[in-house]
Amino acid sequence: MKREEIIEKLKEILVQADERMSDAIRNCELDSDLRTDLGLTSVGMLYTVIVIEETFGIRFENVGMNDFATLGDVVNYLEAHMNQ
Amino acid sequence: MKTPTAEVWRKYMDAETFDRIREMDSVAQMWAYCVSEYAQETAITDQKPYTYAELDEEVARMRTAFADLKKGDRVGILIPNSYLFVRTFLAVTTAGLTAVILPAGLDEKAVYGCCMKFGIKRLMYAPELKDKADAASKLPGAPEMLSADPMPAEKTDAAKVEGKDPCVIMFTGGTTGKSKGALLSNAAVMQGTVNGCYGYKQVFNQRYLLILPLSHVFGLIRNLMTSLYTGSDLFICRDNKDMFRDIATFKPTILVMVPALAEIALNLSAKFGRNMLGEDLKTIICGAAPVAPYLVEAYHQKGIALLPGYGLTESANLVSGNPDSINRSDSVGIMFPNQEYRIEDGELWLKGTNIFTGYIGEEEEAFTEDGWFKTGDLARVDEDGFLYITGRIKEIIVLPNGENVSPAEVEARFNALDFVQDSQVFEDQNEQGKPILALEIVPRQALLATKGAEDAKSYMMQELEKVNRSLQGYQQVNRIVIREQDFERSPSMKIVRYKK
Repeated sequence: MKREEIIEKLKEILVQADERMSDAIRNCELDSDLRTDLGLTSVGMLYTVIVIEETFGIRFENVGMNDFATLGDVVNYLEAHMNQ
Repeated sequence: MKTPTAEVWRKYMDAETFDRIREMDSVAQMWAYCVSEYAQETAITDQKPYTYAELDEEVARMRTAFADLKKGDRVGILIPNSYLFVRTFLAVTTAGLTAVILPAGLDEKAVYGCCMKFGIKRLMYAPELKDKADAASKLPGAPEMLSADPMPAEKTDAAKVEGKDPCVIMFTGGTTGKSKGALLSNAAVMQGTVNGCYGYKQVFNQRYLLILPLSHVFGLIRNLMTSLYTGSDLFICRDNKDMFRDIATFKPTILVMVPALAEIALNLSAKFGRNMLGEDLKTIICGAAPVAPYLVEAYHQKGIALLPGYGLTESANLVSGNPDSINRSDSVGIMFPNQEYRIEDGELWLKGTNIFTGYIGEEEEAFTEDGWFKTGDLARVDEDGFLYITGRIKEIIVLPNGENVSPAEVEARFNALDFVQDSQVFEDQNEQGKPILALEIVPRQALLATKGAEDAKSYMMQELEKVNRSLQGYQQVNRIVIREQDFERSPSMKIVRYKK
């Protein structure tokens, strides 16, 4: 999967996690902070992790969403692990 | 006014189930009963199943590790959800000692602080938390800290424990917003455990999944203790993100969860087009945060009874439970037996067997002069005895996922930055109307003067975001505002807290 596709799919998941944030998520940049810019709460994080694992067919091993600050951090992680 | 006797619950339950419920005085008494009744049944599933008899054998050996301690001494437990936690907790409490449950996410300084504040004589830690315990144990005056994993070969009998004897100290935000330890007696813990049995047809020999942290009363009492008391099998979910895989494997019949998780399960079921909670699930016990009535209806359509309840750390979890949620979905139900209540200026006050003994190491008086505990929650009771929580008057913020955020505690972390003069953490809504946690700070003007205004602002924002990321997930704020003016102040110069 190309980087652009990963970003689009990830944004789609984040919108599902909280549709009321859809404008902010659709217009966000890779350096957008997941919590302060995209309003992701711990519940939203859990939903996002579960759906990412199912959608991208990966497992977050020894890493929690707390280890990611920005959207770009998640994209980088996914890109690295999907290409392994 | 007294709450109804247990008889009021009979009509909601199978007669045989109702008649099996008996009140008990102590965890030691309950555990002896469980082992005699359910010896060969599975008690805990954590990687592998452990029967009640196997668990009892190991609990008896584990008690030997405390043979040098005196009755009532406090033993810290720094262990995440696991079989090891259950074994250690039962060993400590059946040895007549007091368990102090420390959230596994505390850092070493907080672990040390708790040891000193609560007078912990020995701390038992999970092997994976060794580094943290080692660092804490090097600080001055720290108690002995031991891995909970190795077990002595010798067995030690359970102690004689009475209802009035202390059982466990749990963390709570209290009614003023600062984290503190609430001491629950054995009788309180057992009343909470038995309360968990009332209100649905089948209670004994069920399959539970543990998702909630055992450092929270909802996890410890309603999930773990009631599961053990009823001869059920408790599957320990090690990581919440794996919960739906665990559910698919284990097929629980009862789930104890916060509303936010019940909502996630619904959304995921719709998204993936399959029932994420498994075919065997009959009941969801839902609490620790307000339950939206639509959840009751949505689950009812799936053939699952979602039963809201109400409780506090200070009431050994359960004060009330709703056996008739489909007809009264906005109620937290009928109050459990052996309590008294009154409603003063709209606030619910409680007394009873399940009410805690007091806060430990705090000057704050927990009770009124005539012994009432003021819950800080606004409530009403209808003509049929159903309780409704209508609001909150205390400072603590309850998030939709049931986590309690103490504003004072989070503010203290931001206030540690040299440029922060004052801060305020509060619940607000974002532009889309969603509840969020927000932070506003007032910077020290002196610092601003040394830098260009824009530089200072971006520097401050970076530092604030760094602190934010270092907080536990549920404490992280979703909005940060740097104020140009001071907060509104009361005549005594205290910050007037936002009421939103």
